[in-house]
Amino acid sequence: MTERALWVAKTGLDAQQTRMAVIANNLANVNTTGFKKGRPLFEDLIYQNIRQVGSQTTQNTELPTGLQLGTGVRTVATEKLHTQGNIQQTENSLDIAISGRGYIQILMPNGDINYTRDGSLKLDSTGQIVTAGGLTLEPNITIPQDAISISIGRDGTVNVVQPGSPEATNVGQIQLADFINPAGLDPMGENLFRESVASGPPIVGTPGEEELGIVLQGSLETSNVNVVEELVNMIETQRAYEMNSKAISTTDEMLSFVTQQL
Amino acid sequence: MDRSLYIAMNGAKQTLLAQSANANNLANTQTTGFKSDFEQFRAMPAFGPGYPSRVYAMTERPGTDMSTGGLQTTGRELDIAINGDGWFAVQGKDGGEAYTRAGDLRITPEGLLENGAGLRFLGEAGQPIAIPPAQKVEIGRDGTISIIPQGSNATTLVVLDRIKLVNPGNGNLEKGNDGLMHLKQAGAAPPPADANVNVMQGMLEGSNVNAMSAMVEMIELARNFELQTKVMKNVDDNAGVTAKLMQMA
Repeated sequence: MTERALWVAKTGLDAQQTRMAVIANNLANVNTTGFKKGRPLFEDLIYQNIRQVGSQTTQNTELPTGLQLGTGVRTVATEKLHTQGNIQQTENSLDIAISGRGYIQILMPNGDINYTRDGSLKLDSTGQIVTAGGLTLEPNITIPQDAISISIGRDGTVNVVQPGSPEATNVGQIQLADFINPAGLDPMGENLFRESVASGPPIVGTPGEEELGIVLQGSLETSNVNVVEELVNMIETQRAYEMNSKAISTTDEMLSFVTQQL
Repeated sequence: MDRSLYIAMNGAKQTLLAQSANANNLANTQTTGFKSDFEQFRAMPAFGPGYPSRVYAMTERPGTDMSTGGLQTTGRELDIAINGDGWFAVQGKDGGEAYTRAGDLRITPEGLLENGAGLRFLGEAGQPIAIPPAQKVEIGRDGTISIIPQGSNATTLVVLDRIKLVNPGNGNLEKGNDGLMHLKQAGAAPPPADANVNVMQGMLEGSNVNAMSAMVEMIELARNFELQTKVMKNVDDNAGVTAKLMQMA
């Protein structure tokens, strides 16, 4: 015995549970640098034709309206919204934010290149510029040990001032990669994204040129999660969940009433 | 045996069907652009010899609530909602033209414009819309898509195509088994694009399910079901009493 209403309401509970998980993840990352919020996409499931509209009821008459029953809802996708987060001033010379499109390229230990909007960069013991997770930039940039100050230009040029020289020396260039469909990037955690079939291949270039954004030194891009929006979504999700569970308990009561009465 | 038992059973069965239609509405309270279904009962008199003595109940879906769902601002450039009446024309899973109000758009790797459910949006000519690599996509009030092609600056704005917005009249549409709206008249020519339909960018239309009335409906159906069960119980009791009368003392 499968009771239709019970299973339909169950799909509703599943969908709300997924939505809650996405909201919880967004809220958990409200202070994660360069985080892009996610949202679930729902779709109604197919309808079942119980009685076909227009079918003959007799030789001369036909059914004016039929009965089509929906079978519930499903989560089609959880997509990332790659809108710009706020730019926060940190005054740290190795913090960079991208204003506009583009991702910083990161070399993974296995030789792959991943992408991030998290510009909280550091130096490692050998003077290489690395992410907070210790992964090097691509192309790799090394800062001389005796550097007094580091300046990163809007176009990604990295200059250092060394003792005994009034002029700054160029030590490298940060390049950005952009994608036709950033929403198709595969989020890997640790603020990293991976190229996928849906995102298209990366288009690498100099910051500020063509469509790429500029690099701002001494700033960080905050998470693009809007706390108020997430809280409103959470209330809505909770109520929708309650209503679906009410549908389950009501259907259950109907069935239990039958078994008790008859 | 007494037919009233069957009539009550039929009533209970139809109530359960209506309950599942209502549960489907409740399950889709968060589905973008969802239109809720009505369910109603119809009296089906059974004609036998003599006058009609029995009336069965039959549940049916007389139509779909076409009212507009609540609008939410998302700020995403590819989220669009229709302001007022009208529909987006999409390519249905059967290849024909179908209509939806869900405008959560995205661009596929092949450059086609589709919504979250993977339905391709149609342009003015009734063909899927192809979007070349662009750094910015803008959708105007009338559905005109203009882009800044990749590698150009903001002065190079290219007008691409226009999303086909139609308004065939809600009375001419019905929900198909795929959840999309189709023309009621099978095989009719697709309606032409309507310039009076306008869209808003950065917004999405939510589901139009009225959660309160769906809850009340649910309670009502549950009580209705209990009534039918009570009738069945009474018929059973009556049958018991009759049988007892017949017993030899």
